[in-house]
Amino acid sequence: MNGMHDVGGMGGFTLPVRDPDEPPFKYEWEALVFAANQAFHGPWPVDRRRFAIESMPPDLYLSTSYFGRWLWRFEKLLVEDGLATEEELRNPDGPMSPAADFQPFVRDAVDHTIPPKFRVGDDVLVKNEHPTGHTRVPRYVRGRRGTIHLDHGVYDLPDTVAHGLDPKPQHCYAVIFRASELWGARANPRDWIYVDLWDDYLLADS
Amino acid sequence: MTEDKVSRREFLAKTSLAASTAVAAAATATATGQVGAQEVEEYAQSDYSVRAKALVSVLTKKNLIDPTEIDEVIEFYETRVGPHIGARLVARSWVDPEFRERLLSDANAAATELGIERRRDLVAVANTPQVHNLVVCTLCSCYPWFILGLPPTWYKDAPYRARAVIDPRGVLKEFGTELDEGVEVRVWDSTAEVRYIVIPVRPQGTDGMTEGQLQALVTRDSMIGAERLKSPV
Repeated sequence: MNGMHDVGGMGGFTLPVRDPDEPPFKYEWEALVFAANQAFHGPWPVDRRRFAIESMPPDLYLSTSYFGRWLWRFEKLLVEDGLATEEELRNPDGPMSPAADFQPFVRDAVDHTIPPKFRVGDDVLVKNEHPTGHTRVPRYVRGRRGTIHLDHGVYDLPDTVAHGLDPKPQHCYAVIFRASELWGARANPRDWIYVDLWDDYLLADS
Repeated sequence: MTEDKVSRREFLAKTSLAASTAVAAAATATATGQVGAQEVEEYAQSDYSVRAKALVSVLTKKNLIDPTEIDEVIEFYETRVGPHIGARLVARSWVDPEFRERLLSDANAAATELGIERRRDLVAVANTPQVHNLVVCTLCSCYPWFILGLPPTWYKDAPYRARAVIDPRGVLKEFGTELDEGVEVRVWDSTAEVRYIVIPVRPQGTDGMTEGQLQALVTRDSMIGAERLKSPV
């Protein structure tokens, strides 16, 4: 979806100062949220977890810290799937209902013999689609022309996996774009942007 | 921990899902000058802390997690993975030109060769005096954590993600690296399951150093492409 997460190319932000000694977790609660995310072998593929964050209202996304978004997502998915209620999360010392049954998500091994649609050096056009579900096509490359630079091999398609549909394994490539193709006259002619894109996102550009 | 210092819990009476809206409202209050930024930050941290503890408590009571695994995960990410692992790949590539070729053509095999546990597919890209690579994830926070540890905050937050693809030279300049106009810039947006590591240029004045000494020179940010390594002399 065209969510707040898709920030590539936006102006108006201020870069922070880099801290070379920053610890992995600044606050104890961040470590708890991160570790709970790893320790819960739940029904959600990473693509669904990403989509949950992408669905945050834009003002909330920007005013919530990184691990705060993870926390929001965890609460949302637990409630959505009947694994916990809002009341239980608000009052963890109160009565607990049993969690709904679920199957832990396990990715099937992909078939690496699936043939690619494109070869290195092929010119491609990124489809100009604006799906309401999950996708890994940033807005800044939609409708833009690039060239297949590397074939990474076969991976499941996030767009379907996120929503529990056929994983549609297919090739994913590093596609190279001239900066001017993406950003027009302000681009430096010596800048190049590489974006990893699946077969389903691309059309042959002949 | 600052989150325990906050006493005005009434602000957070509606914790859990509703409280995140309170945080957004508090941010608006700051913007309009009604509440100080420090206060809002404390409210937010307190809210997050209460909700995180509630989350772990609910998951534990429902047998959805094993609480000992929580401690193991935190220990692993705080002490075991970090940039020292990526630095091994970099230092080896500096002392062994054949390894460098293998690393750049098949980073997965090169990592395995050094006994590095690889949890994702890896691609290594080399900086040279003529080419500067920079890695970003504009959509979220994809990062080669198994060789660099968890990403720094600046990598995960919107400003870097927004600007790295449209103004990489400006980002690098603000980060302290001014590139010559003739240098080619390659920005890698990690939108899929492949992770990228930048192999920085070996700094001058390091000819006599051992591989171990070289590893110690390699910074996390140089392996993202956010800085160049300075000569140690």
